[in-house]
Amino acid sequence: MESPPLVTSDGELIVPIRADVDILLARQKARALVMPLRFSTSELTVIATAISEVARNIVSYAGQGEVELAIVQQGARRGLRVIARDHGPGIADIERAMQDGFSTSRSLGLGLPGSKRLMDEFQIASQIGEGTVVTMIKWEH
Amino acid sequence: MAQQEQDWSTTVRRSNGGVPVGLPAISEQELLRRKDFLEIGEADLKRIASINDLAERYADSVIEDFYRHLLNFEETRVFFQNPATLQRVKNLQKDYFLRLTQGNYDVAYAQNRLRIGAIHEQVGLPVKSYLGMYNFYLRAVASKLVEGFPKRPADAWAAFLSLMKLTFFDMGLAIDTYVYSRERTIREQQEAIQELPTPVLPFREGMLLVPIIGLIDTQRARQLTEQLLRAIRSDRAKVVVIDITGVQSVDSKVANHIVQTVEAARLMGATVIIAGVAPEIAQTMVTLGIELTRMTTVGDLQSGIEYAERLLGYTVTRAPHKSIPTA
Amino acid sequence: MRASIMKQSKTLIASVQGSMTDADLAQLRDELVIGVRQHRSTGVIVDVTMLDVMDSFAARTLRGIAQMVKLLGAQSIIVGIQPDVAFSMVQLGLRLEGTRTALDLEDGLELLRLLENGEPAVGD
Repeated sequence: MESPPLVTSDGELIVPIRADVDILLARQKARALVMPLRFSTSELTVIATAISEVARNIVSYAGQGEVELAIVQQGARRGLRVIARDHGPGIADIERAMQDGFSTSRSLGLGLPGSKRLMDEFQIASQIGEGTVVTMIKWEH
Repeated sequence: MAQQEQDWSTTVRRSNGGVPVGLPAISEQELLRRKDFLEIGEADLKRIASINDLAERYADSVIEDFYRHLLNFEETRVFFQNPATLQRVKNLQKDYFLRLTQGNYDVAYAQNRLRIGAIHEQVGLPVKSYLGMYNFYLRAVASKLVEGFPKRPADAWAAFLSLMKLTFFDMGLAIDTYVYSRERTIREQQEAIQELPTPVLPFREGMLLVPIIGLIDTQRARQLTEQLLRAIRSDRAKVVVIDITGVQSVDSKVANHIVQTVEAARLMGATVIIAGVAPEIAQTMVTLGIELTRMTTVGDLQSGIEYAERLLGYTVTRAPHKSIPTA
Repeated sequence: MRASIMKQSKTLIASVQGSMTDADLAQLRDELVIGVRQHRSTGVIVDVTMLDVMDSFAARTLRGIAQMVKLLGAQSIIVGIQPDVAFSMVQLGLRLEGTRTALDLEDGLELLRLLENGEPAVGD
């Protein structure tokens, strides 16, 4: 097994998420952070879209939380790691949430499985009453 | 074949410092299985060991006869044009020959045999010639054995049978290298086909044609879709015909990808027609639950193109009694 | 950043400028609806050429525009979705069902013309 990715940027960049304007901010910060990396325009769009979705989940379900951005390195490759954290109600049935078409409220609920498709690595942990943490990585190709 | 003009030294040097590129792997268990199947037992090994001295005595003469035979035939002569090469090869062959009766037929032995087989294969020696060489060798040895056991023909015969078992063991390994090499070539060719960029061809104004050849993996499919979407923008295409006549099979990943491509194209205002859908593929897609109602599919490329042309408002007519001028 | 809405005879054209917040998109939707009623427009074009990311909210809002405007008797066309954005959208599963799309403003206007004249259009 490979060793876990190391953070190589100057620490992690934390973007507090409280309202929809912060979703935009998180995307913009991410774009700026990955400039030295070799991402195609297509990949940049994909990253921004995935961030938009998970950040939006925070606003819609938890009310507030944060998106943490970091450049990571594993062996020879570099990537962007996005961690979306909140202390919201949590997701009762993660498996169902990861199926396409799942919806808890007025939202389409497409964010999670879609984000997983967009990114290279995707992990989600959630506890009822505690909150949710979504970790995603997009590697340079 | 250019290789036939090369002498052995060059070829061996080129192939990775004398070690052929890529050998099949062989395990202890596999060797045991083969020896079992050929019924090579302790008695055989004893008999073979007992003729080792004899082998050393007649090695040179067998080798000389062997090469005299090879040089008689055009097909094998070409490999040994250079006298220096010929001598070197004779020495190698003598070593090979002697090793056969020296015992200890373990993994290292097998790997050595594989290596030699691979060298022959890479030099371009046909299988039939390689097997023919074994044939000559066995017959030459048989006559020497008769001479070496003057009053014990039964022992000579037993020794020969034991040696024959071992020779077949060797031949099995040699043929493995040929098969392995063929399979590797096929794999490389398949990879090369996959590397071919899929063209996105402007066909008529407003139409793009995308012929898909060979296997599509996720990476290639993704590249293709991106390429197509950019072409829709730059060529202002309204209709895209994706021809999958050349696609053998469609798994769920590929099928989903086709659906995604169709949807992405629609978002850009273009209609996609999937042409060349073989009945088996249609069946697969239905089984996979692909929503064919959302896609336009046709059985062959011509229909696909005609449909696309109609969508764009083209009518293609053929002038009557038109003959094509020959040069 | 806000969108600007232009009127071209019976058509309203909304150009989305750069990154828009949820509130901006919602406002755009509301203004378009008001505009269609006010001017009795028969067509709406939403030009998203400058939109760098289309997420589920944006997609929902665009579909909302199409539906609302239709209730008021107008056709709507989404134009200018860029290759990268289209690609990300389908991977995310956003299909903009129930909307018409065209490559850009020029094609969008042409499509509106065909639809209003009752002529068949590619993709119907």
